[in-house]
Amino acid sequence: MRSRFRDSIITMAAAVLIPVLPLAVSSAAGQAPAPGVPRLPDGKPNFTGIWQSLGTAYWDIQDHSPQAGPFYQLGAIGAIPGGQGIVDGNEIPYQPWAAEKKKENFASRLTLDPEIKCYLPGVPRATYMPFPFQIIQSGTDVVIVYEYRTANRVINVAKQREPAVDTWMGISNGHWEGNTLVVEVTGLNGQSWFDRVGNFASENVRIVERYTFADPDHLDYEATIEDKTVFTRPWKISVPLYRRKERNAQLTEFKCVEFTEELIYGHLRKQTNK
Amino acid sequence: MSHRLLACILVLVALAAVSAAQVRPSAPAAPAAKTWTPPKTAWGDPDLQGTYTSDDFMDTPIERPVALGERLYLTQDELAREAAQLAKEAEADLREAVAPDARVSTGPPGHWGERARRPPRQTSLIVDPPNGRMPPLTNEGQKRLNATEARQTALTPQRPPASWEDYDLYIRCITRGAAGSILPSSYDNGTQIVQAPGYVTLLHEKVHEARIIPLDKRPHVGQNVRSYLGDSRGHFEGNTLVVETTNFLDNKTGIGRNGNGIPGSDALRLVERFTRIDPNTIQYEMTIDDPKIYTKPWKISFPITQESGYELFEYTCHEGNFAMFNSLSGARAEEKAAAERAKQK
Repeated sequence: MRSRFRDSIITMAAAVLIPVLPLAVSSAAGQAPAPGVPRLPDGKPNFTGIWQSLGTAYWDIQDHSPQAGPFYQLGAIGAIPGGQGIVDGNEIPYQPWAAEKKKENFASRLTLDPEIKCYLPGVPRATYMPFPFQIIQSGTDVVIVYEYRTANRVINVAKQREPAVDTWMGISNGHWEGNTLVVEVTGLNGQSWFDRVGNFASENVRIVERYTFADPDHLDYEATIEDKTVFTRPWKISVPLYRRKERNAQLTEFKCVEFTEELIYGHLRKQTNK
Repeated sequence: MSHRLLACILVLVALAAVSAAQVRPSAPAAPAAKTWTPPKTAWGDPDLQGTYTSDDFMDTPIERPVALGERLYLTQDELAREAAQLAKEAEADLREAVAPDARVSTGPPGHWGERARRPPRQTSLIVDPPNGRMPPLTNEGQKRLNATEARQTALTPQRPPASWEDYDLYIRCITRGAAGSILPSSYDNGTQIVQAPGYVTLLHEKVHEARIIPLDKRPHVGQNVRSYLGDSRGHFEGNTLVVETTNFLDNKTGIGRNGNGIPGSDALRLVERFTRIDPNTIQYEMTIDDPKIYTKPWKISFPITQESGYELFEYTCHEGNFAMFNSLSGARAEEKAAAERAKQK
């Protein structure tokens, strides 16, 4: 009883206080600001923290059923869980040639998937891999460090940067629309995939990401993908990101290059006399 | 690495600057008291943010030549010679950039790499012990030194690589380790520092590394969580960021350029100090405490500087490691050819 009474006082106090806090700025996109989200001294939402997507989009960003894995020795451990996709409307509007190429990618995924070789994951794939990532947000710029392969990128907010060359992680330029951090990613080299089933884009892709707090421990992540070389229209993915709440959570180094050398160079190892 | 065009411009500027015969040495290791007050972040931490490079110290030896004894700084004459040498290199770089056919060497052109922008004042990166040399090694340290030297001489045409494991972790595009990622090397010496409330992040261009340093005084992770870059914890002492790093993997990278040198032990405790001494300079200091390898702690110190137009580029090492493929397949092809020659005899 007593604690419930105290709760109601706190609720009342909060009801009085919340409108006073500087977070009642409605965003350009129109979404209401989530109450109680951490903020930097300049009033911007502070995304600093460790985040991770749940779900199985890392395997296939479209709806998919569970299936056996490629190595029977791994049994249930190596099986592929099913799950709901993260593509709005579930359809990826490939041009006919690109739909064919996606099928070829799938058929040859054990040799072609850049993740198998521990290559940099690209954007947006890095976001929903089965690894956490950490956002470090300064007053001016934002850094994202992904546990997978220590992939990282700077989101330039203070001063935009032109991509000088195409790269795996591209060049990210950010701006604020109300409480949403909008990030335009260009200069991608088109060699990374979206998932393990071979969904792909080209080096002409332009990705616009949107990071918005749903509540203090959840982000709504959206990415719009435009690539006239590969798709017939822009399309969008949406996936929630969960804050890692373990006490003293931190990224654990995952330097996977050394886990792939036998796969990549094994046939070039000196054969000892038999 | 800075932009190629920019590099050419820098060379021009460097030429002009150096030929003005005014030797402007790099920042001293022990800065004199200054009136300059470092800025603070909006949340009150000393602001170290920016993109810094250790290019100026790329030619400074880690260990001081014995003949120089306890002398840490170059004389004015030595500085002038260094400046003249830099000017000569800059001129050669420029000539190659303008007329690539004039090049006679077989290596990559000089302007592909980077150069010191001003002569470094120090005679060595090691500042303690006072003789600028590593302290005596333990038996284990000596054993590892011998093994490292044996491996370095192993890759001759007579002894081609049996596998990728004959190469070091840097050549394999795995890592240069925490110390090796900031010690100056011949190119791509950039480190970008980004701060947030509760964190400092170091992004190292070469090998695409990131170190995230929590400032909240949390304990280190458990002893069984080991990594190449270790487990870092930071705090501010006045305007100095102090970073203590433990939990290193055993026998991987060393305290040397690109992580070479004697591979450190799992007992290594690295203490780094970052002090911003002027708007463009951080005095960087590293104390190496590895009782299994060295008989006492020792210290490296040098400045890192922000340079106009210098920015980081994506260092996609593993994805483009054709040299590894070529070197191994070349070795196997030569073995096959030799076997066939032997058969014909």
